[in-house]
Amino acid sequence: MSWVIKAFSSSIGKKLVMAITGLALCGFLAAHLGGNLLLYVGAEQYNHYAEALHSQKLLLPIAEVGLLLLFVMHLVTAVRTTLENRAARPIGYEMRQSKLPPGPFLKPASSVMYGTGIVVLLFLLLHLSDFKFELRNPAVESETPFAKAQILLRDPLTAIVYIIGSFALGYHVLHGVQSAFQTLGFNHPKYNSGVKTLSTLFALVVALGFSSFPLWAWAFHSK
Amino acid sequence: MSPTMSLTLKVWRQANPTSAGEFRTYKVHSISPDQSFLEMLDVLNEQLIINGEEPVAFDHDCREGICGMCSLMINGQAHGPERKTTTCQLHMRKFKDGDTIVIEPWRAKPFPVLRDLVVDRSAFDRIMTKGGYVTVNTGNAPDGNAILIPKENADKAFEAATCIGCGACVAACKNASAMLFVSAKVSQLALLPQGQPERTQRVQGMVAQMDSEGFGGCTNTNECEAACPVGISVENIARLNREYIRATVVGLT
Repeated sequence: MSWVIKAFSSSIGKKLVMAITGLALCGFLAAHLGGNLLLYVGAEQYNHYAEALHSQKLLLPIAEVGLLLLFVMHLVTAVRTTLENRAARPIGYEMRQSKLPPGPFLKPASSVMYGTGIVVLLFLLLHLSDFKFELRNPAVESETPFAKAQILLRDPLTAIVYIIGSFALGYHVLHGVQSAFQTLGFNHPKYNSGVKTLSTLFALVVALGFSSFPLWAWAFHSK
Repeated sequence: MSPTMSLTLKVWRQANPTSAGEFRTYKVHSISPDQSFLEMLDVLNEQLIINGEEPVAFDHDCREGICGMCSLMINGQAHGPERKTTTCQLHMRKFKDGDTIVIEPWRAKPFPVLRDLVVDRSAFDRIMTKGGYVTVNTGNAPDGNAILIPKENADKAFEAATCIGCGACVAACKNASAMLFVSAKVSQLALLPQGQPERTQRVQGMVAQMDSEGFGGCTNTNECEAACPVGISVENIARLNREYIRATVVGLT
């Protein structure tokens, strides 16, 4: 199997690792958002979903380990390639101007992937410590999943941080999705505009979808 | 006759590959808007020689935009402000009287500065030796159109073949990646029947050499495509990735 290791250690191989793990993590985002949207259906339905998920004593740990592996591979490859890319230009330019047509944002998503990635990592760590490990508010352990989401998200500071995290995630996947298609060799004049639209829609759904939960808890479930 | 221009030039000067190098500022006068950028540098050099100073070294050859020798980062843009134009084909009318122009060499670890604005681009030659060729039968020249090639493939191969190997893609990329160059060379031959015998080993060999030269990786920012003086498309990078995946699956190593 040395040819597999060789293939994935080249510059193109590392891009493939980023693309495959990134797309798989996007699949998780879609599933996670879908589950969370049950918050809007009702407390009973959301609690039922959460309990059904956590009663999977075999599948849940496997999925969690899988996700952790995907995430670690994505992160380690990102750090490695970023360091290598910086080393490829030891002396920088005095002056730098892009020849690309100006986009709608101050900096294109593709040029801030490392920055948005760090914000997403910090957001993820906070989110896990809040909901999985209940470090900031251990009192929520005895609450139902629905009440737990309300209590944790209605804190104004938490809400603001979660909204920032969600938008950073959206900006990250805006470039990530279309870049993954290009890296996997999927570039065809017939489908390119479709891939771009899919990428933009997915980014919007992720950013608006996830940031809607703290707004909802904040607006409708404050004490 | 159109009025002439006076310009301030901030030029990178470096005596040899190991010396530190620094920016020096020069003034040039009576520059015609119809002169090319390199002709403007010729005027500067005449002036430096008259003053007993060392002229600025820069690469150039055909001055027709087809050889790929000229380079230069002009005000932070590879080959200057105009799209799909080499430095030798860039006219001074793109600048205004009184402008300050910053002129730097390509910056990348695999492109060491030899002197002033001249960099060593032989890393590209070493990549080419790993697969940028096809084997042919010796003897009589084959009949034209003896091998049938779909028009679309011929067009795409031709577009890829217009790459002049100047290195602007590397210079403009935030990662100093050579993917656009390598993708053009791989695509050109992968699209044609004549390139099939070496198809698998070509992409593996050229990518391995590209990596060992120390070029960065591609993050799909598309700066290379915008900077390319002949307009090589990033569609070729997707094809390079496909060729790489194919070679990994079907190749023996």
